[in-house]
Amino acid sequence: MIRPAIPDLSAKHILIVDDYEGMRGILRDILGRAGATRIAFATDGREAIAQLERHAFDAVLCDLHLGQGMNGQQALEEARHRQLLQPHAVWLMITSEKTAEMVTGAVESRPDDYLLKPITETLLFTRLARQMARKQALAPIEQAMRDREYLKALNLTEARLAQANPHAWDLKRLKAELALHTGNHAHARSVFQEALDLRDLPWARLGMAKVHFLEGQYEDARQELERVTKGNRAYLEAHDWLARTLEKQGDLEAAQSVLVRALLTSPHAPLRQGHLGEIAYRRGDLQIAARAFQRHVELARLTPLKGPDPYLWLSRTHLALLDMDGALRPLHELAIDLREDGIARLLSRAMEIPVHYRLGDRIRAEAIAGEVAGNLKAQANELPPEALLDLASPLMEMGDKDTAEALLTSLVSNNHEQSEYLERAKAVYTQAGLGEEGSEVVDRATQAALDTMNQGVKLAREGKLDEALELTREARERIPNNPRLLLNHAYLLIAWMERYGRDISIAMEARRCIETVRRLKPSEKRAGELLAKLELVGNDFGG
Amino acid sequence: MGEEAPKLDMSTFLLSSIHDMKNSMGVMAAYLQDALSDRAETAPEARRNTAQALYEAKRVTDHLVQLLALYKIDQAFYPYDPQDHALTDLAQEAMGRVVDLAEMRGIELTSDCPEALYGWFDHELILGVVVQALHNALRYANSQVRLAIHGHEAGVRIRIEDDGPGFPDFLLAQGNALERGIRFETCSTGLGLYFAAVVAGMHKGAGHVGRIHLENGGDLGGGIFMLELP
Repeated sequence: MIRPAIPDLSAKHILIVDDYEGMRGILRDILGRAGATRIAFATDGREAIAQLERHAFDAVLCDLHLGQGMNGQQALEEARHRQLLQPHAVWLMITSEKTAEMVTGAVESRPDDYLLKPITETLLFTRLARQMARKQALAPIEQAMRDREYLKALNLTEARLAQANPHAWDLKRLKAELALHTGNHAHARSVFQEALDLRDLPWARLGMAKVHFLEGQYEDARQELERVTKGNRAYLEAHDWLARTLEKQGDLEAAQSVLVRALLTSPHAPLRQGHLGEIAYRRGDLQIAARAFQRHVELARLTPLKGPDPYLWLSRTHLALLDMDGALRPLHELAIDLREDGIARLLSRAMEIPVHYRLGDRIRAEAIAGEVAGNLKAQANELPPEALLDLASPLMEMGDKDTAEALLTSLVSNNHEQSEYLERAKAVYTQAGLGEEGSEVVDRATQAALDTMNQGVKLAREGKLDEALELTREARERIPNNPRLLLNHAYLLIAWMERYGRDISIAMEARRCIETVRRLKPSEKRAGELLAKLELVGNDFGG
Repeated sequence: MGEEAPKLDMSTFLLSSIHDMKNSMGVMAAYLQDALSDRAETAPEARRNTAQALYEAKRVTDHLVQLLALYKIDQAFYPYDPQDHALTDLAQEAMGRVVDLAEMRGIELTSDCPEALYGWFDHELILGVVVQALHNALRYANSQVRLAIHGHEAGVRIRIEDDGPGFPDFLLAQGNALERGIRFETCSTGLGLYFAAVVAGMHKGAGHVGRIHLENGGDLGGGIFMLELP
């Protein structure tokens, strides 16, 4: 064996993404030697996405660095996010050295493999052949995950593991992640433990820490994570989890320094910058916060996941620094960058109210408040909690109690289990000299939410499922973002199907509830459990 | 200049220079490779010299890559990522990196690795060690180099053998010193060996630590470089 077998690429549709013409030529020539004829080219991330929108490729060879604009990583994330890749499609990222971003990152953001330059024929053929075989074998599992049938994916994974196969550890890792996703922490823990018994593997230790974190055992999580991060600052995801853990433990200073360290190694992560910003803001370290949010805005602009949050945080931070231009600029940028998003447009205008009010232009603040009050009341349920608080306080002080109350009632109703928000809502009233009234409003809204939950549970216990559902469904229309209510409603919907049989629209309603909880409260184990239950109800996928 | 003159951060300069040199060496190697594949107009003598230049270019590149990796390991930010890999893939990739050089030097290069043999290791680091050992063997071999990989206790043993004059005594001594975990700070030729020893030592599992070993003899009668991974 000197030259490895040449794979047959004659039927494969391959996309080459590289900003350097010479490199595109080299890759095309190598692929040509394996019979590839259906080769398309892109010179930057935008072109790559455009190609992926039009054609179903079997493989993508993409350079990590693509000059200006999107890099290869961002192109991959957008392609995954928008499901522009077929389940069996292989994405190979070409890069000049092994860096921290390449290890233990989240599955959805990892390419199938990295190719380190120089790219030789052997390297390309062995890796391409290996990954094509692997993805082909895993395609049914991937498809199940895309269909959000996680238990089915888990069963398929188990079935494959029962046979001898070359991807055993890939499958075990996948199994653990699926188990975590469906709230089965014990199952995930056993896989991570098996790996740790074998070797001191950073990904397994990180997985173990995630289980501790999700179970609320923050001290155990911290110890595992520190073992990973102390040994090596290249494990970025472990740094992110460590910061989250320290934050839960109330050690904001340590959380901030962990994030700063991770950002030194890898500064181009928008969410990490945002996390640093929030922690620095809470510590009153406003210069650091402003810089981090600024970076978050700039980096997120290039990704498919951009939302109003970083713009609002940046504005809030500059306002705290009493910098009017700095506070208004991100709001104007928000209106431009997310112009198709009605809520973002409303926020970009409304958030000028606290800026003008706090910096002394009460007339201007009142004018804007008059203009947007109606919309704010109508859309209060869709606004981020921090923004509700930012707005309620000047509105209350300017005398628009009506709008302020609507915003705070929405905040409390949707977050009745989060005492921090309840206290801050009361504080808005107290500041306006209406402490007593505030307690009353907040308690009333909290009680109303609790009553709905209790009433729903009572009806369900009595077997009156339809009545219970009617109640929670009506409540969900009023308060669409209350995690507890959504979980209860989803539970009732599933119970209904268990009694009367699976119904597609009921199943979709339940799924939407669970997914909203996932977004609002990612560490809620109950969401995963209900997701598994939902999949099982009236479903026989013969695993 | 005031008191606040910016402090020179040598490591930043060194790192960016190493990157830059590595890229230049890559371009240089590609030109040399082109020149060699252009068979028509090269006299045997010129071919031999070009092949030698290519070997040197690859050797420098290897060293630069090793320097970078060692720096990162030392500063605790090398993304060490042991995974379970098929040894046949490792063998193929390593052979792919040196096969041209072997052909140019007229050396018979063989490899022997069982299918379905898996090991836990950091692919890039181990590939770096194996390719370097192959380069070295090709440099000193008379006519044969062999890469042999086998299961060994709970792990794997990778052997690179040649039919050259074998390692000189001082290298054998250095290799064995490293094997026993003795660090030597002042060594002009030991980068490659040091790199191999550090990389081997990073691989731990089931109560064992990876190690390297140098000896002379074997079936081919020349130098033998051995890497054991738990």
